[in-house]
Amino acid sequence: MIRVAAVGDIHLAPGAEGTLRPAFETLGDHADLLLLAGDLTRHGTPQEAAVVAGEVAGLPVPVVAVLGNHDHHADRPQEVTAVLAAAGVTVLEGQAVVLDLDGTTVGVAGAKGFGGGYAGRCGSDFGEPEMKAFMRHSRTCADGLRRALGDLAQAGTGLRIALTHYSPVPDTLAGEPPEIHPFLGSYLLAEAIDEVGADLAVHGHAHLGTEHGITAGGVRVRNVAMPVIDRAYAVYHLTPRPRPEEPPP
Amino acid sequence: MSTHDPTQPEYRAQHLRDRLAHEDVAELGVRVELRGPTVLVWGPVSSPDCRERILRIAGQVLDPLEWRHDLTVVSARPPDREEDLR
Repeated sequence: MIRVAAVGDIHLAPGAEGTLRPAFETLGDHADLLLLAGDLTRHGTPQEAAVVAGEVAGLPVPVVAVLGNHDHHADRPQEVTAVLAAAGVTVLEGQAVVLDLDGTTVGVAGAKGFGGGYAGRCGSDFGEPEMKAFMRHSRTCADGLRRALGDLAQAGTGLRIALTHYSPVPDTLAGEPPEIHPFLGSYLLAEAIDEVGADLAVHGHAHLGTEHGITAGGVRVRNVAMPVIDRAYAVYHLTPRPRPEEPPP
Repeated sequence: MSTHDPTQPEYRAQHLRDRLAHEDVAELGVRVELRGPTVLVWGPVSSPDCRERILRIAGQVLDPLEWRHDLTVVSARPPDREEDLR
């Protein structure tokens, strides 16, 4: 059994040092790894990233993260990534990491994701350049997640987890105004997850949403935005299961 | 011909949303809604300091309109339960 801790939308900035560290110090008692589902900072500056790094450096479990829209606001995502990486955080964007946790291989595929909306109520790659760019970015992020999940399928990890900031399903947006759902996620992420398969999908971004959802293909989805879980992190227990034969790559 | 009235609650509510997004507090998760003539500002925020800053900005944007708030501060405690997904 693997214990997965996860939280998103911690929105740290100078002045918030030590807010989460006391709770994170208890991670060794509760979890085998920590996932950070984006929006780790307020504006995406290296100074804010340094506060995040101080909260997670030297923890007794591996830390895997994706960035969120706030982490891109200052147009310095590479610097934010570098600050987090220097503190030992694995930051994913269209990539996967395989962890060996007490003999069980756990794969995490990560991508920020983007908006666009959900099947039947989504934007189209059509019209003005700005609209086409919006939808293409959504598809690029989902393609990155699909590739990363595919890498894990090929590696044959015992568990496969999809980590995003934006939501793959509308279920976990319940509580948010339906009018803004196209800014909170995209069905393209769920389609990628269902195409390859996963044991769990974790996201943040929707502060007023709900924790529990599921993709059309039956993958459990959890919204771990800190305002939703109302604690420093949520913990999910997963057990590796025998998989049906993987589709050919 | 009607003219733009900047005191309309609808516009004030949106101006508050814009201020909360663009000011240092960078808060996009707070709901600002109209209930009749009253503006409601509610939702979870990350810290007591964040709550105070939001209320200060709300006062600047919304006064003298009637407005109410219900901003809660998110807990940073360790979890007291886990979910078994087996």
